[in-house]
Amino acid sequence: MSFTSLAFLLLVGGAVLAYYILPKRCQWMVLLAVSMVFYWVGGGKTILYVFYTAATVYAATLLLGHFNALKNAAPKEEKKAVAAKYKPYRRAVVLAACLANFVLLYVLKYWNFTAGLLQPLADRLSPGAQIPLSELVLPLGVSFFMFQSVGYVIDVYRDKHPPEKNFAKLLLFVSFFPQMVQGPISRFHELEPQLLAQRNLDCTSLKYGIQLILWGYFKKLVIADRAAVLVNSVMGNPWSHSGSVLAFSIFFYCIQLYCDFSGGIDITRGVAQLFGIDLAENFRRPVFSTSLTDFWRRWHITLGAWMRDYLFYPMSLSKPFGRLGRYTRKHIKGKLGKIIPTSLATFIIYFVIGIWHGANWRYVAFGFWNGAIITASLLLAPRFLKWKEALHIDDQSKGWHLFQVIRTNLLVFLGRYITRAPRFLTAVWMVKETLLHPHWGDLTNGTLLTLGLSGSDFLVIALSMAVLLAAEWYQEKKGPIRPALEKQTPFVQWLAILIPLVVLFCFGVLRADYISSDFIYKQF
Amino acid sequence: MLEELLEILTEAVPGVDFETETALVDDEILESLDIVTIVSEIKEAFDVEISVDDLVPENFNSVQAMLALIEARKE
Repeated sequence: MSFTSLAFLLLVGGAVLAYYILPKRCQWMVLLAVSMVFYWVGGGKTILYVFYTAATVYAATLLLGHFNALKNAAPKEEKKAVAAKYKPYRRAVVLAACLANFVLLYVLKYWNFTAGLLQPLADRLSPGAQIPLSELVLPLGVSFFMFQSVGYVIDVYRDKHPPEKNFAKLLLFVSFFPQMVQGPISRFHELEPQLLAQRNLDCTSLKYGIQLILWGYFKKLVIADRAAVLVNSVMGNPWSHSGSVLAFSIFFYCIQLYCDFSGGIDITRGVAQLFGIDLAENFRRPVFSTSLTDFWRRWHITLGAWMRDYLFYPMSLSKPFGRLGRYTRKHIKGKLGKIIPTSLATFIIYFVIGIWHGANWRYVAFGFWNGAIITASLLLAPRFLKWKEALHIDDQSKGWHLFQVIRTNLLVFLGRYITRAPRFLTAVWMVKETLLHPHWGDLTNGTLLTLGLSGSDFLVIALSMAVLLAAEWYQEKKGPIRPALEKQTPFVQWLAILIPLVVLFCFGVLRADYISSDFIYKQF
Repeated sequence: MLEELLEILTEAVPGVDFETETALVDDEILESLDIVTIVSEIKEAFDVEISVDDLVPENFNSVQAMLALIEARKE
């Protein structure tokens, strides 16, 4: 079931009615029932994967909770000994839960890619041998609900909170329907109490939710889906276009991807807000990032935070990395020797983030691109500092800030060649064409009007992006817009809802040739 | 111990007034990369074990919080 379908709007409307009309003790059950319906309609039998994840996580956390309780109940002087006694069991349980989910994720998402790599080797060892391919359908939102669930297991392992003993309540945490399309990846201690809370109808929450949903639809239906027409037209046959047109289509892809993903997240958070639930922020105006590291702190925030807490920290503080650190300190003098282990861990994390998106060489290269740049900037930081001093650059000046923002957006733009091109080698060719054979005249001689968009479409995208950037600039400088809007007269507040609605109907939903595309991050 | 810790912090993240800041993590002055670098230095300099569970904002928001963490892990 797509967020942009009438069925989804009806489901949400019905859910909100049921949520506030039925007795409060039933409110979480309404959310669970709607989540099951949403997943069943959208994913059919793949709903079994949701039950599988919930069941493995439920069993693991109950066991971990049992061991934690034994440890916590021990007298103070025996606590260390009891903790040491149960540590191997706790580790085995958390490892089993991680493997149970990640091995399945690997089979579903990465096995066919691996099989393709291994096939030549199999041919050489045993001519004619075929490595079997997986024909399993990728379940809706699998990377999101599995990561969220594994994070919960690790939190219980770390004794951050007790386990949920009611399976149905845990199932709701795993499958809460607005998150099933493209996240965010929530934390148990933030989401679960909100899912189970009993609420009265709160008009402010409802209004905020509707405003956020409309804003999300505006980004998705007016900007992203329109930009997609040009992007798909060029990328369907990139070889017949000049370098400048290829660059322009990648620029439009940057717009499409941002409006598609952040618009989808706005709809997700807006829908959750209708039930009084505040989901984690997943975007913080990435266009204003001053470095690639800063970009990843602002883009898909919950994935970055997951990687930081459950992979980067444990890896950086692990014994092998500790040994590596001692070795590099001893053999490489100065700051370089101290930061090599952190730099290596950073590279691995960004590489993993790259392949989290999917199994093909483009995402491997994308991970390498981000990992290499961020690691290089870490290793070269002392040298950059010296250059800045030599050039008398004022860190606090607006000019330097603007330079950093432009530089970061340029790096992100180049990275998008890799993820949008049909193949990795095509991306390399496209960059080469952009640099060596741009034919800049193609941007002004009417070629762009042959790529599926009319002049008025370009105008709509330009004006919409101006509105979007103005809104983000306001948020960046002055803070949230909706509470500020709350101080205006009711007339202005209604206008803030009506204007996006009119814009949506005029430039989104009612276009005769309009076809809403799926969300890009749904495939991950 | 304070001087040594301040030296580690200043080398890891130059240009920050560590003696007065009390929201180093909350205000995003320290990033995850800085925290890992600082933790590695602390482990080396003070010979203490700091685990993943200790990597929470409240332990790194100020110099005093970091000193308290080091003291606790020395016990």
